[in-house]
Amino acid sequence: MDDLNVKNPPALKQFIPTPPRPPRQSKSGIFGTIRQRCFNSIGNSVLTLCVVAVLFYLVKHVLDWAVFNAVFIADNRRQCMDISPDGACWAGVISWFNGLIYGRFPVDEQWRVNVGVLLGLVWLLPLMSKRIPLRNVILLSWIGLYPFVGAYLFLGGRFGAELGWIHGVMTCLALAFLTIIYVNWILSALGKKGLNELFVPLVSRFVERRIHLLSFVAVWLLIALVMALVLNQVSLEPVAIERWGGLFLTFIIASFAITMAIPIGVVLALGRRSKLPVIHWLSMTVIELVRSVPLITVLFMAVTLLPIFLPADVEFNKLAQVLVAVCIFAGAYMAENIRGGLQAIPKGQYEAAATLGLGYLHTMALIILPQALRMMIPNIMTSFISLLKDTTLVSIIGLFDIMLMARNIANDKDWVGMHTEPLVMISVLFFLFCYSMSQYSLTLEKRLKVDR
Amino acid sequence: MIQSSTSKSQKSPVKGAGLPSSATQKRRSLLNSDASRAVILQAFVLMLALFGLWFLFANASENLNRLGMTFGFDFLQVTAGFNISWSLIPYDPSMSYWRVFFVGIVNTLILSFCVIVVGTLIGTLVGILRLSENPLVSQLARWYVEIVRNVPLLIQIIFWFTVVFSTLPAPRESYHLGEWFFLNNRGLYVTTLQSAVSWGWVLALVAGLILLLYGLLRWSKPYYALSGSRSSGFYIGLVVWALLAGWVLWFFVNAMTLSVPSLQGFNFSGGAYLPASFGAAFVAMTVYRSAAIAETVRAGMQSIDRGQHEAAFTIGFSRVQSLRLILIPQAIRSIIPPMTNSWLTSVKDSSLAVAIGFPELVSVFMQTSMNQTGRAIEIIFMVMGFYIFISLLISYLLNKYNDSVQYKVR
Repeated sequence: MDDLNVKNPPALKQFIPTPPRPPRQSKSGIFGTIRQRCFNSIGNSVLTLCVVAVLFYLVKHVLDWAVFNAVFIADNRRQCMDISPDGACWAGVISWFNGLIYGRFPVDEQWRVNVGVLLGLVWLLPLMSKRIPLRNVILLSWIGLYPFVGAYLFLGGRFGAELGWIHGVMTCLALAFLTIIYVNWILSALGKKGLNELFVPLVSRFVERRIHLLSFVAVWLLIALVMALVLNQVSLEPVAIERWGGLFLTFIIASFAITMAIPIGVVLALGRRSKLPVIHWLSMTVIELVRSVPLITVLFMAVTLLPIFLPADVEFNKLAQVLVAVCIFAGAYMAENIRGGLQAIPKGQYEAAATLGLGYLHTMALIILPQALRMMIPNIMTSFISLLKDTTLVSIIGLFDIMLMARNIANDKDWVGMHTEPLVMISVLFFLFCYSMSQYSLTLEKRLKVDR
Repeated sequence: MIQSSTSKSQKSPVKGAGLPSSATQKRRSLLNSDASRAVILQAFVLMLALFGLWFLFANASENLNRLGMTFGFDFLQVTAGFNISWSLIPYDPSMSYWRVFFVGIVNTLILSFCVIVVGTLIGTLVGILRLSENPLVSQLARWYVEIVRNVPLLIQIIFWFTVVFSTLPAPRESYHLGEWFFLNNRGLYVTTLQSAVSWGWVLALVAGLILLLYGLLRWSKPYYALSGSRSSGFYIGLVVWALLAGWVLWFFVNAMTLSVPSLQGFNFSGGAYLPASFGAAFVAMTVYRSAAIAETVRAGMQSIDRGQHEAAFTIGFSRVQSLRLILIPQAIRSIIPPMTNSWLTSVKDSSLAVAIGFPELVSVFMQTSMNQTGRAIEIIFMVMGFYIFISLLISYLLNKYNDSVQYKVR
């Protein structure tokens, strides 16, 4: 305390007010936000101005080339050049547009592609609504039955003749199933019972169990029979599989591959997580080997090695070879996706299943896989996008997909040397497809997160 | 599993008419126990796999016999006889298929190395710009990524080749930077250094110098850590090192000459040459890779807790400082695994250059050599083996690095 005892207390500090600060810059409103985020420092302002300049330059040139100086109506490239030398010549792309979409499919038969694709989409439409029950069944029926309808429409021929009678039966069953889905939808909207309940009174007279299932089967077979009678009257022009092409072929390859990739991926992923060493190592080898080589080498392998490694009497077309290759490739990648999903399932689920006395198959099929696959839907969408992009590689093998069609325009005598416009056109197409799908998968991801 | 099997075995005597014989009981327990099931299942799968392999190879040998072809790697010694448009290692048509294989490997590696280095740099930059506060900048970066990511790589490669690189002016009117670099529709001609001594010596000398400097820094580090200043020995060492480096530099300047490309007739001679296909493949793949890497970088940066940003801001770090000292070192941990995948993918993607005729492995070996020799099995085996080797190597190295970077958790 002694040293604090000061004789002369220091003079009190005089209060000097600091000069008032300038008013805060407004941070609200459009101008406030712009000032705050784009011009808050010298460096940032310079950056903003640079970006604006670059954007202006880019947009101006692209618009000049693609819209203002472009030619939309012309007979050949020379005319385009005469009208406007430094603009795009969209006339060529427009005249080849059908080719880009349908490939070398006969022009008179192209409606079949439209109908087939439309049927496929219509079949999947009920999946969009959350109020419709048994959506899994609809999806499974699409995977299992739609290919028959598609093949019938795309390949043609007399009904049940060129493609075999089994195929004919399956086509009828598929169409009947689709009819039942939609009639049921309409009936339920009207507040009536579904079509599949039609024979319930009749069936219940003869049997006691599984009345509804039997009634459904009876209705299904009946409608299929009607379909068969109708389809027997029409005969479609046969179209060789080599004439498939364009965007149509790209989508066929990608969707077939992704549908086959899921079962392959499930088997490989389960195998990789298996505790049995032989199965674990076999699946791991397959997955790692396929994943570490580029797709183009797998395609080359399919085209050159499949004929060598399979019996001499098995006949292959190029599309089948490519499909085998793409399926294996996509399956290996899908396996890794699904493994991620399996790993995310909490251990308690396995233990609960074991407590209930479920065996391995039941645990997987009823408890684990439904959850894992549901979680993996966005990832499956992402792999579909990358598969769709990778499908362009089949043009190197010589399949006439959209890429090769676009490159072929430059060989047409009317449009010799026109490379830029078709490439830009298909880039825009791919961008639209892939971007919208990736945005959709993002919203799905958010929805799944909320659901959990 | 065990419970269910015991409950079944308990039930069975009740259900069955009499007591089951010991033989059936034994059979049943053999099928129901996990251990024996595992053995049976594995044996079955193994048999299936072996049978599949046997089936394939039996067919192959039969088909090869039928077509009069043989299996073996003897063709590698045969003279290739075709020209390769561009090769980093010396090659001429009188060399063997072995040489063709190596030319392909070197070209593939060069292309993917350039793509990885430049793509990673650009990608990191774009990824950081994507997180910029400036909405204009971040949106520009976002749309760059979206557009590049959603257009197939093959289209981009062909676009750059046919639209950009093939429409450059002819050699006479080529774009040039001084008298050292020339860009025309055949490719890029660059001035190179030519050395009188072999490049091995040059590399060894430079490496020795770097090693010396590193050793010097290592040696002076303990003293610096203790006292905060360098010892006088360090400065003496630095001067000696600088003298040595100066001498080496002087030696190099005397031993080396510039090889300048000059137009002679219709083409350039002298200097080094990168074909247009290399340029197109390089630009397209770099752009594509940079978009993928930008996404991984962005995801990695966003995975850092917001508190870290705020803490760095509170300490008074500038944005660059907080990026360099706080955010990037943490983000690296979550960025490395996807980045590795991205690099691996770019090695695999380099095979797409086959579409524009760049002489990489698939093009020279899987297309030209296979068409000439017809040895499909051997060639595909070798090419896939190369890619598998590279994948395993890169993932092994990066796993090692990853282990050293990850948090040490007790």
